[in-house]
Amino acid sequence: MNIHTYEKLWLVAAMVLIVGFIATITYGSVGLGITMVGDQQPTIEPSEISDDERFGEPRVEHVGENEYEAYVVAQTFAFSPDPIEVPANSEVTFYVTARDVIHSFSVAGTNINTMVIPGEIAEMTVEFDEPGEYGIVCNEYCGSGHHDMEGMLHVVPEDEFDMTELSVDADDELELGDEAAFNVSVENRMLDDLETTATLEIGDEMLEEELTVAGGDLEETTFTVDTTDLGEGEHDWTVAIDNYEESGTLTVVEELETDDENEDDDGDNGSDGDDDENDDGETDGGEDDE
Amino acid sequence: MAKPTEVRTMSEAGSTYIDAFPAEAKVVRAAFYSSFLALAIGGLFGVVQTLHRTDVYRFMDSADYYTVLTAHGVLLAITFTIFFLVGVFTWAITTSLDRGVEDIRFTWAWYGLMVLGTALVAIPIFAGFTDSIDMSASVLFTFYAPLQAHPLFYLGLVLFVVGTWLAGVDWFRSWLAWKAENPDERIPLPTFMVLTTTLMWYIATLGVAIAILAFLLPWSLGLIDSVNPLLTRTLFWFFGHPVVYFWLMPAYMMWYIMLPKVSGGKLFSDPLARVVFVLFLILSVPTGIHHQYLDPGIAEGFKFIAMTNTMFLLLPSLLTAFTVVASMEHGARQRGGEGYFGWLKALPWRDPVFTGMALAGLMFAAAGFSGMINAGMNINYLVHNTFWVVGHFHLTVGTAVALTFMAVTYWFLPQVTGRALWNRSVALVQVVLWFVGMTFMSNAMHRAGLLGVPRRTAEPQYDGFEFEAAVGSVGELNAQIALGGILLTLSLALFFANVVGTAFNGKSDSLPANGYAETLSGSEDAPLVLDNLKLWTAIAVVLVIFAYTFPILSIVDRGGLFGPDVNPFPVSLDTLPVLGLVLEQYVTTALATAGELTGSIVTEVTP
Amino acid sequence: MRISKGALLVVLAFTVPLIVELRTVLVWVNIDLSVLESAALGLVIVGLVVVWAFLPEREDDRQERDDDQTDGDVPNGN
Ligand code: HEM
Ligand SMILES: [Cu+2]
Ligand SMILES: [Cu+2]
Repeated sequence: MNIHTYEKLWLVAAMVLIVGFIATITYGSVGLGITMVGDQQPTIEPSEISDDERFGEPRVEHVGENEYEAYVVAQTFAFSPDPIEVPANSEVTFYVTARDVIHSFSVAGTNINTMVIPGEIAEMTVEFDEPGEYGIVCNEYCGSGHHDMEGMLHVVPEDEFDMTELSVDADDELELGDEAAFNVSVENRMLDDLETTATLEIGDEMLEEELTVAGGDLEETTFTVDTTDLGEGEHDWTVAIDNYEESGTLTVVEELETDDENEDDDGDNGSDGDDDENDDGETDGGEDDE
Repeated sequence: MAKPTEVRTMSEAGSTYIDAFPAEAKVVRAAFYSSFLALAIGGLFGVVQTLHRTDVYRFMDSADYYTVLTAHGVLLAITFTIFFLVGVFTWAITTSLDRGVEDIRFTWAWYGLMVLGTALVAIPIFAGFTDSIDMSASVLFTFYAPLQAHPLFYLGLVLFVVGTWLAGVDWFRSWLAWKAENPDERIPLPTFMVLTTTLMWYIATLGVAIAILAFLLPWSLGLIDSVNPLLTRTLFWFFGHPVVYFWLMPAYMMWYIMLPKVSGGKLFSDPLARVVFVLFLILSVPTGIHHQYLDPGIAEGFKFIAMTNTMFLLLPSLLTAFTVVASMEHGARQRGGEGYFGWLKALPWRDPVFTGMALAGLMFAAAGFSGMINAGMNINYLVHNTFWVVGHFHLTVGTAVALTFMAVTYWFLPQVTGRALWNRSVALVQVVLWFVGMTFMSNAMHRAGLLGVPRRTAEPQYDGFEFEAAVGSVGELNAQIALGGILLTLSLALFFANVVGTAFNGKSDSLPANGYAETLSGSEDAPLVLDNLKLWTAIAVVLVIFAYTFPILSIVDRGGLFGPDVNPFPVSLDTLPVLGLVLEQYVTTALATAGELTGSIVTEVTP
Repeated sequence: MRISKGALLVVLAFTVPLIVELRTVLVWVNIDLSVLESAALGLVIVGLVVVWAFLPEREDDRQERDDDQTDGDVPNGN
């Protein structure tokens, strides 16, 4: 077979190119230790996701210094949790599975992208250096509402990030002379201890308490206020730690009526929107703070 | 040793294909017309999608978008391409062996089976437009389970593929019969190309055949409760990657045997052409997993093997680029071209057959670059399933293949109808317009993909965030996509004007003779081993076994043969169809089903 | 004419991707063109190409170019 000289040159150049590609990519993945979506994870029965330790309650977990794990479930046509919140300067491992059909979990404009196949769990580790907000899309057709499937990924500045949950249990109405108790519980889902100060503001009074919540733990404390000091009437109160606030109104009356008609409950007036899920109902319905 | 020139002298100069093989010409023509009908409907849907996605013009419910997209994908990627292929291959076999098919009834039978299959696939797809028929198949052309289509859809696909298998049998029969009479001759190059491609197809379609027959069809009929989504998906891509070579091989064949001829020269090297086709036979199948780089449940190592094979698959394409350019240059110099680049001027740019193929080849080179990005298993994360990919394959199948097909149609139509081409200038404008339209559309698709805009999405406009373009804006990209789509549709309209115009032209006696390019370095230079099809098939099978046994065993081991317990997800619409749409779909259904059959009717009317 | 009409059409087609992406390339060197400006620039480029193509041919270029009459189906040139 006679091959033209130019053709031989071309052939050699083509082979060099190909081997070069393979070498670069091999280096880019093996050499730099970047793992790709593979078969690292066990399988999972889609029908048992709800009882699964990791996916039963989709969430972000703190698992080591600057290390987080996000358990994400995709289903027609939503992701949960949504939004996903992680700190900047962290390493997050996403575990994603699907409840029904094949979806994808794709952070727009980045290379965070994986198929999400029912029965399989995709694992992907990502480093977030800078804060930012990203859209998450499903880029695998999953049915007639596929285009509505979206979510958000918030990478918040490191010093603004915590996994604290505050909830307050307090009375709505008391008789003059009673002791008002504010049961505050603070959950710290981070691994490090949380040192913070809980404050209660009611009327002119301001109470403070230093709290240390161990990593992964829950601390409770109670503020008590004598209603005699407050006097009759409505008293707005606010319990705060760091960026979280819970507020409500305590009504002090001369004498408690036996059939307690409920106060109007207009929706709560946002405690910074940061962490509202754990409103316990007990603290509902603050009047607008003037 | 056969001199390559003998091939041309076999059919007397001046005799067209229809003169030499009147019966075969009818089948080829029917296959072409079926292919064009799919192109017409599919193309129309294409522009509907472009306008809908970009929010330039939306007239249907977004849920219907996926029905349109299913039809676009199936009609263009399967029907258009493969009907054209069987036409060209039948022409290639009969012309290069210089003998008619062994039994024309058999030839019609496989053609009929393919038509029937297409109709069965089309019915449930188009029924998806209405709620009044309890049938749907909006599963896109990849039909990933647990999305579930109506059983007819799967059944139709099976019949269609069986039709292509029988077509392959037909071609092999011709070759064996010819070989019995010409025991010492080399396989003529076009026949060689047909046979290797067919062998590749046989291996490749095993994947989809198993996926459908063992799993999806019984599942859609309720015989089995569940399937393993990763398994059927892997079997799909076992077939899904090589199918792109099935589209591409007839285009390559045209670049090898027609482009040199229309450039006025000869094919640079017959042996290397054979090498290229052998490489495709060997390497096409064990690469499918490169479509699954992002699939959980497949080990990285398997993906790596697929990537390596994919990269080596660049080789035959790079060789083709060389041969094609070298042959064009040879042609240009025969025509008096001179200088380093000056020869380019001497090429027959006025000839739509040449210009169309040259532009298609050029766009294929561009597609090569975006393809290398796709193939890199790490960079792939950036673009997988984004609009980038759609931009990429509209350069490959949407241009390298489709534009080559349209361009050679201008040469084939007179050959199979005996009528002169209606209008060459319109044809020239048509191919150039396709190039321009595709430049706009595909370029903007690539760029949108880099921003993360997903493919296969009716409304890629989200509530919580916006895609951010570094240069320009998403709006501008959308405008480019819509403009491109409209230009492409215009180009299609011109194409069909020529097809129809030619069909109604009078018979002409002054048509060019049937034939294909001679070679500078002929088959006598090709080592005999290249023609050893058994050897290459064996190697291909071994490579497939290497590449797929372990991944498939591992998938079955992980998820079970019939997978986890997921409910089937029939893809139907729960929206109230608008009256107009219902009407429209009745018309299109009628068109599609009846239309698929017109191919054969048309052949009956034209003498 | 410097080149055949067919070749001119093709050359014009080739300028399209260049014009479309010119804007992106210019951004790298910190020149921001608006859509309108790049469209105008495009028209100018197309105009120049057309004018060049219609310039009368130079003496030494005047050999017969056969692509104006033949089509691709002529017997191979040998
Ligand atoms: C008028 C010309 C065409 C236009 C305007 C057009 C437009 C489009 C658009 C906008 C999409 C993307 C839809 C989405 O991902 O949401 C698409 C998908 C596709 N097109 Fe085209 N196209 C055209 C011609 C072709 C041709 C000629 C072929 C092949 C021969 C083709 C094959 C495909 C395929 C296979 C898909 C993917 C379908 C899927 O994702 O399931 N198109 N087309
Ligand atoms: Cu989706
Ligand atoms: Cu592929």
